Amino acid sequence: MRPNFYHVVFSPIWWIAIAALATLPLWLPSYYLHIATLALIYAGLAAAWNIVGGLTGQISLAHSIFVGMGAVFASALLLQLGINLWVAAGIAAVLSGAMGAAIAWIDHRFRLGHLSFALITLAFAEMAELVVLGWDFLGGASGQSLPRDEGRFLLFQFGGSHGYFWLVMALATLALVVNLAIINAPLGYFLRAIRDNENAAQALGVGLLRNKMIAMAISAVLTSMIGTAYARYSTFIDPHLFASPVLTIEIVLFATIGGLGTAFGPIVGAILLVPLGEILRGQLGGVLPGLHYFIYGTIVVVVILALPQGIGPAIARMVRGFRGAKPVAKAAAPSAKTAAEAQGG
Amino acid sequence: MDTDILLQAVVQGLLIGSTYGTVALGLGLIYSVSGVVNFSHGDFLSLAMFISYALYAAFALDPYASVFITFPVLAIAGGAVYWTLIRPVISGHLLMIIQLTLGLNLILQNGMLMVFGGQPLRVPSIMETKLLIMGDVIMRWPLVIAFCASIVLAGLLFLMLSRTDFGRSIRAVHQNPKAAALMGVNVARVRILVFALGIGLLAIAGALLLPGTPLHPSMGLRYTVITLLTLVLGGMTNFVGILLGGLVIGLSEAIGTIYVSGILGMILPYLILVLILLFRPAGLLGKA
Repeated sequence: MRPNFYHVVFSPIWWIAIAALATLPLWLPSYYLHIATLALIYAGLAAAWNIVGGLTGQISLAHSIFVGMGAVFASALLLQLGINLWVAAGIAAVLSGAMGAAIAWIDHRFRLGHLSFALITLAFAEMAELVVLGWDFLGGASGQSLPRDEGRFLLFQFGGSHGYFWLVMALATLALVVNLAIINAPLGYFLRAIRDNENAAQALGVGLLRNKMIAMAISAVLTSMIGTAYARYSTFIDPHLFASPVLTIEIVLFATIGGLGTAFGPIVGAILLVPLGEILRGQLGGVLPGLHYFIYGTIVVVVILALPQGIGPAIARMVRGFRGAKPVAKAAAPSAKTAAEAQGG
Repeated sequence: MDTDILLQAVVQGLLIGSTYGTVALGLGLIYSVSGVVNFSHGDFLSLAMFISYALYAAFALDPYASVFITFPVLAIAGGAVYWTLIRPVISGHLLMIIQLTLGLNLILQNGMLMVFGGQPLRVPSIMETKLLIMGDVIMRWPLVIAFCASIVLAGLLFLMLSRTDFGRSIRAVHQNPKAAALMGVNVARVRILVFALGIGLLAIAGALLLPGTPLHPSMGLRYTVITLLTLVLGGMTNFVGILLGGLVIGLSEAIGTIYVSGILGMILPYLILVLILLFRPAGLLGKA
């Protein structure tokens, strides 16, 4: 582990930021607390996706499967078989990790190019949604409703919006710390070597299959855990939300706009875009259907045109310019070479 | 009895699949010269259909006639989108372009929602209810027309690519943009024209799909996904492969919905896609 990791994790700014965030439920009106909770859920999901998509350069569109495992499958275990939700969440997370590793294995075994990998994972995600919609055990198209939250911690109930805010904050922080740890550990160097040039990485003795499987498994486990928390927070599990590939597309959007391959970028992307989308919907949703998404889409396009490296790195550059050059924990942004390879793939 | 149903399913699947092939050809052309994977491709298809609807609502134009208006409109839109949005980021990360076109998907989809509302719309055509009966097989005329038109279009494209200077410059840019530029090919011009052509093709595909297809602003992404699957199945830039990919997807859809009960039948196309791709990663006709 490079000292950079401890530098970030033990810095006072880090702890002040966490403490300030933790006080939000004490003074924020409930509507805004709901938005903040959603933002942190997506921040965690984007950070978890970043391990595969940003660090390893594998454009996985299968992550709605892992969210669905944590949300739909774990809830089905509770509702149909009466398994405690903590245990169910654990089972779902382990299965997600195994599925993630299996997908990485398929990718490697059949030497898929970037685009083929993206579309095969998309096909997996489409199939998973159809399975959820067609299988009554998983609630089918009508979804599942979890029992009312009575604040019983041992049943994975966190009692009201405060508890869930702290829960998802902890999970998002965990996803961020895992990102930081990977970036500063040998694994992170392996992953980035794989991303930038697979053949060269292999020639240097980086185990492609092993590292890809580890990255995908870690990402899948985190995603599944956040999925369970999201499901318990929502109480009603709508398969068109929790098992839909559109969810992955949103996660990838936050990660990309925030800054691929950096630890903080995906978090920044979600924390800026989720509230933006929610507030636009709150303000304009009743005015003219579609108007808020229209504006949202326009903002997305403008941001990509203005900051093609992402918002996070742009902020980091600004901060560094402000304080003079000082080392900040960050990974190199994906190079143009990766893009060229991806296009060829 | 059983063979009748199978034959019917096969014919239906082939007819629908040919249109998927046409839609994917537009995307394949664009990809081959610019490496852009356009996630708003399906939304341009629904844009074409909605413009046809507007022309029908205003002037009672048949979709087969209004294609002469929608084609230039979409071609210009395609060229403009390339020039203003895609060109600035074309050298960036693949994901950036994908996200940009997904942003475009939100804009188009919700723009149409704002203008046309969320209720499903229909555009009638003189051909809509006509049936072609050959022996035991009953075919809807619009699908037969779509099939024939797709084959003719594909043939014209092949001729264009192999026999004209423009086609040769497209192939040159596809093989090596830098070398093509050194040989005096205006790469930017080729790309903008191919975008115009690729999106313009959607006007034709839209007219072919319209009779009998209900319109909804949110249908674009689903078309995009089907198109991308077709494209990958065809091997991205192999135009014969792409048409074949469309037929495979159409066939597996038709057979899946008839033979496998319920929603699980809809899984079949994806399953077939995954299996084909695993064993032929370069597409149906591609060289590994």
